[in-house]
Amino acid sequence: MSTLEIEKTQAQDEFIINVGPQHPSTHGVLRLILRMKGEFIKDLKPDVGFLHRAIEKIAENRTYAQFMPFTDRIDYCASMPCNLAWVTAVEKLAKIEVPERAQYLRVIMTELNRIASHLIWLGTMSLDLGAFTPFLYAFRERERILDLFEMTCGQRLTYNYMRIGGVSQEPPQEFYPKCKEFTQYFRKKVDDYEALLTYNPIFLSRTKDVAILPIDVGLNYGASGPTLRASGHDWDLRKIHPYSSYDKFDFKAPLGTKGDVWDRYIVRIQEMRQCCNIVDQAVEGLPEGPIKAKVPAVFKPKGEVFARIEAPRGEMGYYIIADGTTKPYRVKIRTASFAHVQLLKYLAVDWKIADLVAIFGSLDIVLPEVDR
Amino acid sequence: MTLELKGLLDWVYTIVSGIVASLGLPEIIRDVALMLLVIAALIGFLMIMALFLIWWERKVSAHIQDRLGPMMTGWHGWIQTVADALKLLQKEDIVVGTADRKVHFWAPVVVFTACLAAFAVIPFGKGLIPTDINIGILYIFAITSFTVISLLMAGWGSNNKFALLGGMRTAAQIISYEVPLTLSVMGVILMAGTLSMVGFVESQGPYFWKWYIWPQLAGFAIYITAATAELNRTPFDLPEAEQELVAGFNIEYSGMKFAMFFLAEFLNMFMVAAVATTLFLGGWQPPLPGLAFVPSYIWFLGKSLFLVFVIMWFKWTYPRLRVDHLMGFAWKVLLPLAFLNIFLTALGVYIF
Amino acid sequence: MGMVKEFFSGVYNLALGLVTTAKYLPKRAVTIQYPKVKMQMFERSRGTVVLLSDPETGELNCNACLLCQKACPVAAITIKQAKDAGTKKRYPEKFEINMMICCYCGLCEEACNFNAIKLTGKYEFATPDKDSLIFDKDKLQEIGRDVKYEAKKKREPKKDAVPVKKAEPASPTPVSAEPEKAVEVKAADPVDNSGQIDIKGTNQ
Repeated sequence: MSTLEIEKTQAQDEFIINVGPQHPSTHGVLRLILRMKGEFIKDLKPDVGFLHRAIEKIAENRTYAQFMPFTDRIDYCASMPCNLAWVTAVEKLAKIEVPERAQYLRVIMTELNRIASHLIWLGTMSLDLGAFTPFLYAFRERERILDLFEMTCGQRLTYNYMRIGGVSQEPPQEFYPKCKEFTQYFRKKVDDYEALLTYNPIFLSRTKDVAILPIDVGLNYGASGPTLRASGHDWDLRKIHPYSSYDKFDFKAPLGTKGDVWDRYIVRIQEMRQCCNIVDQAVEGLPEGPIKAKVPAVFKPKGEVFARIEAPRGEMGYYIIADGTTKPYRVKIRTASFAHVQLLKYLAVDWKIADLVAIFGSLDIVLPEVDR
Repeated sequence: MTLELKGLLDWVYTIVSGIVASLGLPEIIRDVALMLLVIAALIGFLMIMALFLIWWERKVSAHIQDRLGPMMTGWHGWIQTVADALKLLQKEDIVVGTADRKVHFWAPVVVFTACLAAFAVIPFGKGLIPTDINIGILYIFAITSFTVISLLMAGWGSNNKFALLGGMRTAAQIISYEVPLTLSVMGVILMAGTLSMVGFVESQGPYFWKWYIWPQLAGFAIYITAATAELNRTPFDLPEAEQELVAGFNIEYSGMKFAMFFLAEFLNMFMVAAVATTLFLGGWQPPLPGLAFVPSYIWFLGKSLFLVFVIMWFKWTYPRLRVDHLMGFAWKVLLPLAFLNIFLTALGVYIF
Repeated sequence: MGMVKEFFSGVYNLALGLVTTAKYLPKRAVTIQYPKVKMQMFERSRGTVVLLSDPETGELNCNACLLCQKACPVAAITIKQAKDAGTKKRYPEKFEINMMICCYCGLCEEACNFNAIKLTGKYEFATPDKDSLIFDKDKLQEIGRDVKYEAKKKREPKKDAVPVKKAEPASPTPVSAEPEKAVEVKAADPVDNSGQIDIKGTNQ
């Protein structure tokens, strides 16, 4: 992809910079072409596709159950929600009723993974801003969550835990007390992160009133999740179209006021606390029953369906066209980060290049989601 | 019997003058020989100090971040820096073809020399100052301004527009922070009434409540902040960290030249801490006269290393300031505070 | 007045940040120094795939039904069926798993009805030689010899089973598959060493 389009409008005192696909910002392989005037960014063009693995095409040659490990890898920072989105879509297509215990287990796993994903976001954003320590603290907390996952399904990053109709394995007995222990421990750690960052004057000067996203602009670009909630738009799929028994839990979807970088930060921090609440409630109220519904061994649904869930980064949706064979005809994956990459141009223009790092961190973009 | 080094120094003096007298050489040779010995001892000490400080930084940062740091090379990795230095020594010295060779070569030399030269007036202990000139603190601030020149030389000599931009930005930052740095010690100078380093130490009373840090808390805070900015450390290291996106001034340096920039940064850190110890924390004096059995250089080293630890602590806790905030902070916050400090100190000295 | 308040609030928050990081200085670090100290893997850890053998006879449990080959989403398993002339039993003549392609998803283990294939907690198989990462039947059986498993479906041993010699490691792998004995960090579940099949409620 050439830089010619940006170069065409280049004025005399501007220059073009390539923020290359590999950079220490640890967000993945994204290439940004910037046109800069001195310190200010005048134009920005993202160049995506370096991590494209043709997952949607692969889906056309795998059965519905076989596709599970691939959904893990669409967003490997938040693997359980990706699993959940796929099984929700397939169950909606084939009208399968999921037993309640399986729904509660899915909620526990998804919320724990939401905390883990937000911890990665916290670590990388503060690393970009120059605070080296919260990165390591976040990953230390993540180790405990990953231990919980390894105890249950055997893997630490790409779980392949959910199945069409339920979940694959019952967590071991020691999982539930360890879950409770973790949520108690973690709430204190969130206070640590807040002490280090939230009202720190240096952090405030980097993030307050930087790159405000108005609600209508966000909606037009397809923003969702914490990015949109930080602007004040109360849209959380777990509350508005509850799936997988989220309506049985009592939690808040934190809202921001202005939509600047600080709001996007504080919304995610508060969300981490709310996830602890949900996990506690789910572990307390876990009903007895089977963990998987009966699904025919040779599974041949027919029809079209679109289903979406609230992934940690925004809305994740699957559009499946099934033609009555064991493999889907077409699977289209709608990911939140793909829409948010478009927001970069709107948000970053007329800010300095040092703000670009803060903005990019606050949008919580992961490249596997963008490129699939 | 004390462990002070005065006896050792007298012994060395008598030996050298004995040798010179027996060889029939003029007296100036004796002075030159002593000077060379002192310089050799100082440089040796400083090299060990630099190596120690790099290890110390890695360990402190590791334990703040709940991890271990270097562990494999020696007990808790104390030989790690030596291993890194040996590795850097045997690296190929790559110079860009279009670079200005002379400027590119002399930049690390200038920064290292300036850094070492500033140690000539630091009182390491009782009677352990290499030379006690009566304008000690002025000399230190003058010598440390050399770093600006060397950074500009590094940025220019690399023949890389991004290195030049980075170098210029760093130079602008250092120049702006030199003003509050110098002004913040004016309060101490007013109270001590002298510019000599030994004078500062001796004018702070024998008890720790008479040290200048208590009346000059604002001056101390401004000094540490401005010094962190001078050293280009977080929270003021955006020109360096901008390497992720643009380039820093030392992007074209490899091998030993890069190591010289790196070592100079750590030695500068120690120098800043040593000056702060002398000016604010009573230099080599013990907190209470009863603790004088511990030698003075141990007190000095302990206090300086504590201040170095504080500077490292800042680095690993705070995020970075953006460049315009950085400059605004220097000119709009630190400078007025420094003036206020001088005014109040002058008032206090006049009244009391 | 607002500026003074802002100033003091700023100083307070900066000090709060310093206190938060200083809390960790006296604490013991959470780092585990691999390879001197190794973590004990959980029971359900999904590491390398192994082929399980009957503990009494030493034969492979696998009867080449090809279900795992069909279930594998990345086509890492290659099996060639053959029939034993003597006992008329189906067995895999060639059983290869390409560990460079295997994604450790565990679908093969779920598909198997004969306790023949399992994912274990072993992970130390790094090697500079790519060819040795295609595990053949012997290697898979060898690294699965000491793996305990619970029976999904009871298999009666055949009455005229030939007592089988223990398979020699014939594969040309340069790297030893067994991790060194090292200090265990996690408190282990009590391991049953009596050679019996350990029945615990894990795989449902």
